[in-house]
Amino acid sequence: MDDYTSVIAMLNHTWFGAELSPETQERLAKLGEIQDFEADEVILHEGDDAREMGILICGRLALRTFVPERGAVTILSVEPGDIFGWSAVLADTQAQSTVVATESSQALVIEGTRLRAALKEDHALAASLYPRVLKAVARRLRATRLQLLDLFAR
Amino acid sequence: MITSPAPSPTAAARQWFLARGDLGALVEAIRGTGRRVIGPTIRDGAIVYDEIQAAADLPAGWRDQQSAGQYRLERSTDERTFGYSVGPTPWKRFTFPPNLPIATAHRTNTVAFDQPVPDVPSLAFLGVRACEIAALGIQDRVFLGGQFTDEDFRARRSAAFIVAVQCSTSSSTCFCTSMGTGPEVRGGYDILLTELDEGFVIQTGSPGGAAIVAELPTRQPSHAEVGAAVDSVEAVRTQMGEPLPMAGIDERLKLQLDHPRWAQVAERCVECGNCTMSCPTCFCTSVIEESDMDGKSSRTERQWDSCFDVAFAKVAGGDFRARPRDRYRQWLTHKFSTWFDQFGSSGCVGCGRCITWCPVRIDVREELAAIAPPIAPVVQPVAVEPVAASPGTFSIARLASIKAETEDTTTLSLTDVDPAFLGGRPGQFVMIALPAFPAVPISISRFRSNGIDLTIRAVGATSTALVNLHPGARVGLRGPLGTFWPIQEAYGRHAVVVAGGVGLSPLHGLVDALVANHDRFESISLFYGSRTPEERLFRDDLAAWSASKEIDVAVTVDRAGPEWKGRVGVVTTLFDMISWDCTKVTAFVVGPERMMQASVQGLISKGVPADRICVSMERHMECGIGLCGHCQMAGRFVCKDGPVFRLNDLGDMFNREGI
Repeated sequence: MDDYTSVIAMLNHTWFGAELSPETQERLAKLGEIQDFEADEVILHEGDDAREMGILICGRLALRTFVPERGAVTILSVEPGDIFGWSAVLADTQAQSTVVATESSQALVIEGTRLRAALKEDHALAASLYPRVLKAVARRLRATRLQLLDLFAR
Repeated sequence: MITSPAPSPTAAARQWFLARGDLGALVEAIRGTGRRVIGPTIRDGAIVYDEIQAAADLPAGWRDQQSAGQYRLERSTDERTFGYSVGPTPWKRFTFPPNLPIATAHRTNTVAFDQPVPDVPSLAFLGVRACEIAALGIQDRVFLGGQFTDEDFRARRSAAFIVAVQCSTSSSTCFCTSMGTGPEVRGGYDILLTELDEGFVIQTGSPGGAAIVAELPTRQPSHAEVGAAVDSVEAVRTQMGEPLPMAGIDERLKLQLDHPRWAQVAERCVECGNCTMSCPTCFCTSVIEESDMDGKSSRTERQWDSCFDVAFAKVAGGDFRARPRDRYRQWLTHKFSTWFDQFGSSGCVGCGRCITWCPVRIDVREELAAIAPPIAPVVQPVAVEPVAASPGTFSIARLASIKAETEDTTTLSLTDVDPAFLGGRPGQFVMIALPAFPAVPISISRFRSNGIDLTIRAVGATSTALVNLHPGARVGLRGPLGTFWPIQEAYGRHAVVVAGGVGLSPLHGLVDALVANHDRFESISLFYGSRTPEERLFRDDLAAWSASKEIDVAVTVDRAGPEWKGRVGVVTTLFDMISWDCTKVTAFVVGPERMMQASVQGLISKGVPADRICVSMERHMECGIGLCGHCQMAGRFVCKDGPVFRLNDLGDMFNREGI
């Protein structure tokens, strides 16, 4: 039997995973795998199928979107504790931005098909996970609204 | 609450002299009233309080040597009776007995619980020191000052006759002057003795005391004897040296609940409980049951207990203070901090028993100094008088250097300024003008020893003209004007600076001041958001602050290209980094008003009190002194009443549309 203690310990250091029940934490640890990313490594490409969701353990990721004539623009950075690739909780969706590691990073990455199957069959997992995903998305929506206001413009 | 009647002015002025050889008459006179006399006597190598039959039982000619973990009796060079400082016995032993039967229970056909009839002896305490009288007063508040009272204590305290003695010496462990309880006895006695070589100067503090003194073979003291009595107490005060800095110790300790010293002192502490047993104010008890073998009757007894006992905070589900560090912290913070909340004073009288009788020489004074060192006195800053206050008058300054901060923002370093500008405070501003250009308000971004910096965004005619000046140019200044950041209100707290865009400019001087006084704050943090990496102000200073240990700096930008490796997101996302108790935060916020609103909401949702958030408001200003009316915001002029405001002072004017 695999030892997921270290993964659970990592989850406990994230806002996303800290208050999950031990059972849910173990379930998540079993569903995913810890992956290391080097600086500048592209994790997801904008427009590709949203094939995995990750919980960033350490490091920093940039969410970039392509703007014609301006190139790649970083619209948000993902800090430890937050998630990326949340679209993977929905079937048949595409990644909304390109996810790039801006420094050496580590994440618990869960393959989308496995994640959706688990959420469908395990209601306790779904009841714990969906509010957190929603919280993450809501935080981003709030921040994006403020960004849209372009507060520091003249 | 029980206190001995205060002596009337007439009685207080009245003094008597009792020859040393007649001290026995005092013991006899008290015993003649039917009281047992409890006083100092030598037992097991220490001066303890026990029953005194005659003056011969008293420790004449003995003195003590005390230090942390040490107590020695030695012969004195004189025959003084009270030439020692306090021993191991607290007087609470007689007002709050270590073992007290409080009930009996019987099981027959039913069950019955009976309270014993109080058996309170009539006692006189002989040789009570100033710190000990203070301790009795503290236990009065504990046992009799609240909704529920201890009637056994009340009966014993009421029956006690107090013969106090002024200290004529102190030990190295004494610190009554620090706790404000001594060395002089100021009240709470029936009779007060001040011992001189030939005898005792006596004062009385109650009719009962006066009646006893009336029976003694006294005479009027000479002028020299009265003077010597006063000098004797003052000599003890001098002997004890400078009082410890105890001001604000209750609040200082509350800020240090996570100090590493708790664990360090706990490694030395053997948890013997000597400190609590010898303490004259500790009042914790437990109740034990003793049952007959047949189980038909039982006796309930209250016993002194100690918060150092491993089971003291234990419940069925576990122990709330399982670690020695928890127990030590509980004791020290109760004595010097939370006791104030419960009983209105410190729980310590500075008798030093806990120091002398600690077998591992833990000195509470050293622990307090290490855990909650004093904060230097706060000098409330006042605004300097501005120069050239009237519109149209200006003080001339020279432009020393220019530095481009961003594409449109420039810092002008001005020198040869009027000294008033050097005395300005972070948060204040100046009105700056050039011939043919109207004056504009600019925050002072830095105070230097020989000048000030103004960081200016070129948005209008005057500001554009200013940023295009060359070194050596002259400008006109008025100021410093307006209110400033109340830095002292963040002393002892987490100082959080939140800046957006060019809002860092009026905060730069604040950050300088916080860093320069970093010892006064629990922590210092700067959260800075700008539109893009290129639009960050003071990049060299941000790098230097980030490298220093005195301040934590977090920077985020709203958008960036792929070359930017830092954070991207609005400034409020940085609040996720806050891990401390936000009720202990004082925040300073500047930026566009919508950004300040989002920041204030974020801080409040984290638990930062609204009255601990300060903002700097921007409005159209022309005069800078509250006369032109441009900057009026409801009932305030931003130039004169601001620009720095406490959020509470703005009320619902903050971020209200159209104000």
